[in-house]
Amino acid sequence: MTTSTPLLELRGITKRFPGVLANDDVSFDVRTGEVHALLGENGAGKSTLMKILFGLYQADEGQIMLRGEEATITSPTSAIEQRVGMVHQHFMLVPTLTVVENVALGLHDARKLRPDLDAVGARIREISEEYGLEVDPDIDVWKLSVGERQRVEIIKALYRDAELLVLDEPTAVLTPQEVDDLFVILRQLTAAGTGIVFISHKLHEVLALSDRITVLRNGRVTGRTVPAETDRQQLAEMMVGREVDLAPDRPIVETGPVRLSVSGLHVTGDRGTPAVVDVDLDVRGGEILGIAGVSGNGQRELAEAIAGLRQLDRGSISIDGADTTGVTPGMARAAGLSYVPEERMKDGAVGEFDVAENLLLVDHGDSRFIRNGLFDRDQIETHAARLVEEYAVKTPTLHTPTSSLSGGNIQKLIMARELDSDPLVILAAQPTRGVDIGAAEYIHRRLVEQRGEGVAVLVISEDLDEVFALSDRIAVMFDGAVVKIFDRADATRESVGLAMTGVV
Amino acid sequence: MNIHRPHRLRRLFALLFATALVAAACGSDGDSGATATSECGTDTSVAMGDSVTDLTFALVAPSAKDDLAFTQSMVDSLTRLGIEPQITDGTFIVEEAAAAIRGYAEEGVDVVIAHGTQYGGSLAEIAPDFPDTSFIWGTATDTQGLDNVFAYYPEADQGGYVNGWIAAEMTDGAAMGVVGPVEAGDAVAYVNGFIAGATANGAPAPSVVYTGSFSDVALATETAQAHVDNGAQVLTGTSQSTVGAVNVAAANDIPWFGTQSNQEAWSTDLVVASQVYHWDVVLDDMIESIEGGTLGGEAMAITLQNGGLVIEINGCYGLDDSVVDGAEGIIAEIIDGTIDPT
Amino acid sequence: MSDFFTLTVLVGTLASGIRTAMPYLLAALGETVGQRSGVLNLGVDGVMLLGAFGGYYTVLQTENHWLGVLVGLAIGLGMGLVYALVTIVFHAEQGISGIGIFLFGLGFSDLLFQELVGTPRPIKPLPKVEIPLLADIPHLGPAFFQHNLLTYVAFALVPLTTWMLMKTTFGMNVRAVGENPQAADSLGVSVAQTRMGAILFGNTMAGLAGAGLSLQLAIFQHNLTNGLGFIAVALVYFGAWRPRWVLAGALLYGMVTATRLRWQSLDIIPRGASDVAAMAPAIITILALVLLASRVRGPAALTKPFSRH
Repeated sequence: MTTSTPLLELRGITKRFPGVLANDDVSFDVRTGEVHALLGENGAGKSTLMKILFGLYQADEGQIMLRGEEATITSPTSAIEQRVGMVHQHFMLVPTLTVVENVALGLHDARKLRPDLDAVGARIREISEEYGLEVDPDIDVWKLSVGERQRVEIIKALYRDAELLVLDEPTAVLTPQEVDDLFVILRQLTAAGTGIVFISHKLHEVLALSDRITVLRNGRVTGRTVPAETDRQQLAEMMVGREVDLAPDRPIVETGPVRLSVSGLHVTGDRGTPAVVDVDLDVRGGEILGIAGVSGNGQRELAEAIAGLRQLDRGSISIDGADTTGVTPGMARAAGLSYVPEERMKDGAVGEFDVAENLLLVDHGDSRFIRNGLFDRDQIETHAARLVEEYAVKTPTLHTPTSSLSGGNIQKLIMARELDSDPLVILAAQPTRGVDIGAAEYIHRRLVEQRGEGVAVLVISEDLDEVFALSDRIAVMFDGAVVKIFDRADATRESVGLAMTGVV
Repeated sequence: MNIHRPHRLRRLFALLFATALVAAACGSDGDSGATATSECGTDTSVAMGDSVTDLTFALVAPSAKDDLAFTQSMVDSLTRLGIEPQITDGTFIVEEAAAAIRGYAEEGVDVVIAHGTQYGGSLAEIAPDFPDTSFIWGTATDTQGLDNVFAYYPEADQGGYVNGWIAAEMTDGAAMGVVGPVEAGDAVAYVNGFIAGATANGAPAPSVVYTGSFSDVALATETAQAHVDNGAQVLTGTSQSTVGAVNVAAANDIPWFGTQSNQEAWSTDLVVASQVYHWDVVLDDMIESIEGGTLGGEAMAITLQNGGLVIEINGCYGLDDSVVDGAEGIIAEIIDGTIDPT
Repeated sequence: MSDFFTLTVLVGTLASGIRTAMPYLLAALGETVGQRSGVLNLGVDGVMLLGAFGGYYTVLQTENHWLGVLVGLAIGLGMGLVYALVTIVFHAEQGISGIGIFLFGLGFSDLLFQELVGTPRPIKPLPKVEIPLLADIPHLGPAFFQHNLLTYVAFALVPLTTWMLMKTTFGMNVRAVGENPQAADSLGVSVAQTRMGAILFGNTMAGLAGAGLSLQLAIFQHNLTNGLGFIAVALVYFGAWRPRWVLAGALLYGMVTATRLRWQSLDIIPRGASDVAAMAPAIITILALVLLASRVRGPAALTKPFSRH
């Protein structure tokens, strides 16, 4: 390790929001030419810390030191001026502008009548070549892939001579192949002397890329380490603060009959183009089939078609032997399907409804809850209290609006409702996206439990760790088609990742 | 007059003073007949007459009180009767007008004039709440069965007929253009009368365009231009939207026939003749009834016969005496029933 | 029908359509820039009315048309400052603020008219400017090259507005803040200043459009615009925020209006159908633009106030 002055040093940063201590005496430093990972769950305070660094928030206490001198960063512009660049998780790009325009934004005062786009374009090409950031400067950004857009973000920062680059969850939207490409680029940048803050919650990526790792939990630093001295299990425990079980035990289960069968399925997407193309799937009782793939490759449309939420063009679907092709969502449920949708706040729960009401959503016609033609309040509360208890939903009361719960607890609530109906088939789309590790662990355990009871489980996920942790078989979707189905034993991250790019 | 906007008073006094001077100088107390040929150069504004009643009045009207058209015709009529109403003008929004009407009734004004066909719906709700107030509503041909509402309307086809007849005299078989607003009410009556008068006098049927709006000046202007491009030698039109159409007539040196109010003020040598509404004739009868305890229940028309319609011929235009005489003959025949202008 | 296809009538119709389109085009071009920056202004009609009265009254007093145009521009600029203050500084809801501006313009222009003028007195119309040589081309000349100067200005502003939006720094910033203000802000582009500029441009154009209307008609009257400004806003939507489509919409609207009036005057459209004819321009224009331009998405941040947190 070098002893030179760090490029960036955050000293004792504290930031309070009403009722929340977002950062509590956090210290953190980055040296030139290194990747320092900032690891933590959603809400651990990573984003707040970086927003302070980028001038979007001001710290209540503490100092920011840049190159050994105290710095005041009051706005994104002043951050850029002090050569701090940021690649936001939600890209800060204007899709209707070209790459060169996106880079040129803010470079010139509006009093300069015309931006010198030719010069900007030439410099972009230079940067592209130097760091292998391939992108066509004259193309509209909306035409670019996610990986290319990220490169534009990095170019934007480098164009402004960033010495310190902050990447906020940069891999969340990338395919494994694109992640590999990104890592190559980042290593080239560090070799050229750039300091990088790598914000992530993906343990294996942090281990693969970083020089040093700092872990945040509840706004405080709970661990500092280097990859050589730690492993995923230990990092996870620093993040969660207790022992965690990253991959649930999956006892050997005798598979039963085919519970869910999809054959020759064709579905049209929102844009009127084919979204699902000739998909055949069989899921047996006692089996978890994981569907891997980068989002937007037809997974959502497949799920909606199975759940009866989307019209299908051709093909057939059956649940437990009964034909459910083109049925209503209610009929699919009646046939034995439980559905945990991808957009949990849009399709899974009603935010303004309270916990008890959301737990009742699919059973509201059930005679158990109706007396004299009206809802039986006592019965409903007993039912809700039992589910909240059984599925460990953390809620102040049964009448708390669901929208005020955390993502993990909303997901548990939906799981409680869906699993309580003793389904034959469970369809879970992105079941742990945006959910903390503790809740994810719990949800995984519940899904494996259902498998043990002979339920057929179809899990759709963009998170390869999740797919690998749960699945007996892994189907990979690309461009609407299932390009390959692996047995768990034969699947490696590399082979699945490659299939996700369409290479079989 | 008792106007809502006090700082306007000065201008109004000045205007009234000027008119009084002119009236005094002419020594004329106005024509009571059905035609009037103005001396060229006379002020066409109306002088305050001797008050005919002690009743208090309020007027609610959709356009400006000096619009040279519909609203001004009522203001001038009241002026001739020596009545100074409270005025709320420019209430093209019916809800605002309804609020004003109710407000005056609550204030205890004896007679509230709702000068706009579109106020009928509001009046049907308001009038029954104030059985001791008399409401006067027009233009309308019935009182909606309300016994404290009087209705008034012009038999505008009569003046239209006379204007059409004069126009035919002037054009010698050339085309004529009519700028109509919406095909309803006295606009239709005027237009149909104009057509009848023109064709009866041997002219080809005038071209008529209803723009679909009482207020769209641009549309009415382009309509007039279309007529001119089609070769029209005479233009006429009705509603406040025609202000721009009159400009087109002026720019192309084409004579214009007016209605509702005297439109000579536009341009001294442009307007040949105007059919002017003198509501005072029916207002007089209504006031008499109200003072006698009958607050409404009747619809009254102004006509050439009762002097409510007056054809004012512009002295500055220089119409041949023979044509003026001919027009007076036509008016006489309409009055005695020989001609049916409809 | 055959009457319509005489050259005089066709030429007259084309000229009438172009005249009619002028104020729509000016107002809609201004609003296009405003909306591209993410700001909807439903007050266009009110600003137009104020500009129309200001221009008219100036010409009535001074007989100087260019002074009238200048006053229209200045009134538009002033109203732009008010609208920018309300929506950018105070973050007021744009739809409601715009309606407020409209009602203010409607009422205040009428009040001023009543106070200062009263009876609608005609002014000298904007003089026609015949383009040398072109104006002498038979038929085409009278149709296209014998208009008042503002009409030429309106048409010339179409490529100029496109150029401004697509090629200048200001235009680039406008497009950026209308689409993703956070991104622009993160690069040091002032969202407030950029939107302010776009609002000022839009309102100034509305003021000009109003003055153009009253000077072209050579008259003012209560509610002279008769909702013209709202149609201009609709043209921006249906013209997919592209100046050339907005031009197409304004021209189509003007041409259909001119044609239906002429068809009525030639009895091609029977008198009984005049109500239907009155609706034709709006219906045909909207249908045509929906078919041509409906696949284009609007500025993503339209009507959304921007603040950093």
